[in-house]
Amino acid sequence: MDSITLPYSLQLEVPFETAKQAIIAASTLSPDPILKPNEVSVNYKSDENKLICQFQAVSDRVIRVAVSNVIENIKTIIECIDEFDGKEDQYFN
Amino acid sequence: MTVDLDQYVKPGKGHYIALGLEGSANKLGVGVIKHNIGPLSQTNRAEVLSNIRDTYVTPPGEGFLPRDTARHHRNWVVRIIKKALIEANIKGTDIDCICFTQGPGMGAPLQSVVIAARTLAQLWNNIPLVGVNHCIGHIEMGREITGADNPVVLYVSGGNTQVIAYSKQRYRIFGETLDIAIGNCLDRFARTLKIPNEPAPGYNIEQMAKKGKHLINLPYTVKGMDMSMSGILGYIDQLANDMFGKQPKKVIDEVSGEPITPEDLCFSLQEILFSMLVEITERALAHVNSNQVLIVGGVGSNERLQEMMKLMIQDRKNGQIYATDERFCIDNGIMIAHAGLLSYRTGQTNLINDTVCTQRFRTDEVFIKWRDD
Repeated sequence: MDSITLPYSLQLEVPFETAKQAIIAASTLSPDPILKPNEVSVNYKSDENKLICQFQAVSDRVIRVAVSNVIENIKTIIECIDEFDGKEDQYFN
Repeated sequence: MTVDLDQYVKPGKGHYIALGLEGSANKLGVGVIKHNIGPLSQTNRAEVLSNIRDTYVTPPGEGFLPRDTARHHRNWVVRIIKKALIEANIKGTDIDCICFTQGPGMGAPLQSVVIAARTLAQLWNNIPLVGVNHCIGHIEMGREITGADNPVVLYVSGGNTQVIAYSKQRYRIFGETLDIAIGNCLDRFARTLKIPNEPAPGYNIEQMAKKGKHLINLPYTVKGMDMSMSGILGYIDQLANDMFGKQPKKVIDEVSGEPITPEDLCFSLQEILFSMLVEITERALAHVNSNQVLIVGGVGSNERLQEMMKLMIQDRKNGQIYATDERFCIDNGIMIAHAGLLSYRTGQTNLINDTVCTQRFRTDEVFIKWRDD
């Protein structure tokens, strides 16, 4: 996928509290295939405590839609982390 | 030989606990189920620890769209998971596996829920993930709740209409809809009449149908073991538009001379659709030589459907009908936890790259490892 260079690109960097959280975020996002692979590609990785999402697309419109979707998913991940990280041994109430 | 369901039990433990997440349509459900070791039986039942649901309800006349439904699920999923854990009174380390609906269903809602499943599984020391076929969830939960051991299954919901029978470790589809699902047909007619979607459009149609008296003529479209419903919907929609449109036209019942009401339309639509279901279910019973019918799926909570099915089954020797109430009929998380746990106990776990959801996932694709009859 890296061999094709599409004209528009954008890099999103989201800092997390720990490196483990950033790794979890990257591996949670990675499995889902992008809907139009010939128009847009996304690559997820983590660098220390940062989640890095690299977007490439055929137009700025396509990139905007893709970024917006990824941010929605990141919001769910962050909410999960906020509520549950490090709490596997406790009861909730 | 019976299937060994306890190869994967955690050392020193006498039970399993599974968390199930469902979000394939407009219901977001999270449930926690407990199985004690040993095969499930009348004396060793699965135990429902919690079963929480939140439904995305749209205004009258509107259906639920994938984008908006996904947004609803994202808004609620973490809160609902927490609520289910609180009610079940368990902690993360008690959980053996996290089960999620992998399909069939609407893409965006499914995806929004699996994100939470993946994150939670990894946060809590990589709890195994188990992908579950939504239809299998309905079937297994129905069997567990009702105690039906080998029924013909009528699976009727907003997205699916199938007559299913078990054979050689697969739930095989005997007959199904050729176009739209029965629940979709009812929901869309509810939209035409601008009937509220709260608590459910089908429920409101059912209540109106109770007041209907006149049966109007509608097409009857059984095609062998399958059925078609879009033509019926088109016909009755047209009729409703004629009656309540810009230039209202009075339609008179031929026998009594009384005017046809919206209640009569609901009544007639239900009668014709349910008769078709009864016909193909009866034929499936004859094919597989069974006398048990299990009704699952959201439309299965319709009491008129249950009644009509009962009339048919009573004429068969030792005929029995099994149905569940809305807690288990309508989409829920507990059925995903239950079917997922059965699969987990026979060795299924999904690696994270193998947790991609799919809109199309047929019932007979799943190998039923936990049954050997």
